[in-house]
Amino acid sequence: MSATADEEPPVVELDNVEIVYDRTFLAVQGVSMEAEEGDIVALLGPNGAGKSTILKMISGIGRSERGEVTRGSVYFEGEDVTNADTKEMVGRNVTHILEGRRVFEDLTVEENLRCGLYRDGRRIRYDNSDYEIAFEYFPQLEDLLDVEAGYTSGGEQQMLVISRALIHRPDLLLLDEPSLGLAPQLVVDIYETLRKINREEDITMIIADQNAKRTLEIADYGYVLENGQIELQDPADVLMNREEIKEFYLGTSAEESRYSDIRHYKIRKRWK
Amino acid sequence: MVEAGGLFSALVTGIGIGALYALVAIGFSLIYKITGVLNFAQGQFALLGAFLVVVLSTSLPFWFVEVQIPVYAAVVVTILIGALLGVLLERLVFRHFIGEPVLSVIIVTLAFVGIIEGGSRFFISAQYRAYPQELQPGWSLSLPLDTELQAPFVLGVALALLTVAALMAFFRYTVLGSILRASASDQQAAMVLGVSIERTIVIAWALSIAITSIGGILLAMSSGGVGYTIADVTILVFAAVVFGGLDSIPGAFIGGIVVGVLRQFGVYMGEFLMPGLDSVFPMVFLLVVIMLMPYGLFGTERIERL
Repeated sequence: MSATADEEPPVVELDNVEIVYDRTFLAVQGVSMEAEEGDIVALLGPNGAGKSTILKMISGIGRSERGEVTRGSVYFEGEDVTNADTKEMVGRNVTHILEGRRVFEDLTVEENLRCGLYRDGRRIRYDNSDYEIAFEYFPQLEDLLDVEAGYTSGGEQQMLVISRALIHRPDLLLLDEPSLGLAPQLVVDIYETLRKINREEDITMIIADQNAKRTLEIADYGYVLENGQIELQDPADVLMNREEIKEFYLGTSAEESRYSDIRHYKIRKRWK
Repeated sequence: MVEAGGLFSALVTGIGIGALYALVAIGFSLIYKITGVLNFAQGQFALLGAFLVVVLSTSLPFWFVEVQIPVYAAVVVTILIGALLGVLLERLVFRHFIGEPVLSVIIVTLAFVGIIEGGSRFFISAQYRAYPQELQPGWSLSLPLDTELQAPFVLGVALALLTVAALMAFFRYTVLGSILRASASDQQAAMVLGVSIERTIVIAWALSIAITSIGGILLAMSSGGVGYTIADVTILVFAAVVFGGLDSIPGAFIGGIVVGVLRQFGVYMGEFLMPGLDSVFPMVFLLVVIMLMPYGLFGTERIERL
């Protein structure tokens, strides 16, 4: 750790981390990254690059899937939390929004939100004012409270899981593919809201997503992963303008027209 | 021959005894609802509760210690021991199966069948034990058509209704109740909200064994004492919960009542048709239900394929 006394340590820091699943499968190798307080950090890369794995080892849920940090260290606010379990990380105000809009389908929207109030079962009394933080950013949820979550639309489900996490009052929010399978305009809206939440509630966020353009638009810093390793890293605005990113993730390369055939070939080669 | 008074009396007694099955069935449903485990030893837990009351309240030599506490205190202590047993089982057994297929825990419950029965034969008593006078109340509730509902049944109906109402309110209106349902629906998504799976298992088994003990004690009261036949209730409980929907608490209650009534009708008709109908009726019912409505009355469609 390089943090000095007058310098706040980053919220999360991964130092040369190697993650192995099931004691056999090497998922992530030599990854060093950090998220400064109040930042949105983008974690980009294709399917299977290790984005989810990294989030899961930060939140500890990876431990329950037989994942293990076998080398390197994970620090949370300067303290070593390598291989900590979910219970501990929740206790440190880390909330993880898992991939795939995991609403509790047979519970109503209100009951889903209520689950965000759970803290070691201490909370017994509650009322709708506990959900204010959710309604502030996603007012449409207020009309859906009595609807079974399984019957709401994809966008509403994504809003619901974000709201449920907000009610949990995290300092660090980990989001796994929040844009997956949503209509483009909805993605824009949700990302704008995330940015607002990040600013107004002072919640540090790490967003893993394949939608590089949208994610970098709201992020402060970005990492590009491939095959379990970090390929690129830069402040978001710098990263967005790098040729590799433009070419492979944004599809807006300046040389697009001239080298379109080559580009297609390269994309196929790298993504398949 | 069949006459109205006899039929009505069978119906009333059926509801009464059904309420006792319902209590045991609610215990079964709780475990399934929260942990997804089918507990084949449900009847054995009822048996254990029924036996503990006698052991604690009479000066029966209990291995090497001799205990004797007032009967009503014994009932309370038994229920508490039941809850404690749930905590203990999580620590000693179920904790090690977290992350394993649910089938392994189901097999573990099969092992409990033998362990509890053998254990109580060895440590408690190998024979039928009559219940103390205090637990054989003579009063009964008078109903029309010269029928009566015996005290254990009256208590059973009241307690079963109370338990169903309390559990439904718990699951519907409390944060903990919601989170338990949530973790049954998506364990990982609940874990990232801070739910500990160990804790949900403790809650499921402690509540279940406590409620099942009440059912066991009342079953013993209704027959004047406790014998190993009480454990046979497992199979009736299966019929009840399959009808109600495995994970539904009100379903378990209604299922218990229906099975109780069918059984009592079997007893009544057996008197002039053929004996044995009381065991046939509930099982034929079980078969028909499984064929016609595999999710039961109120069950969610997560039924275990047996």
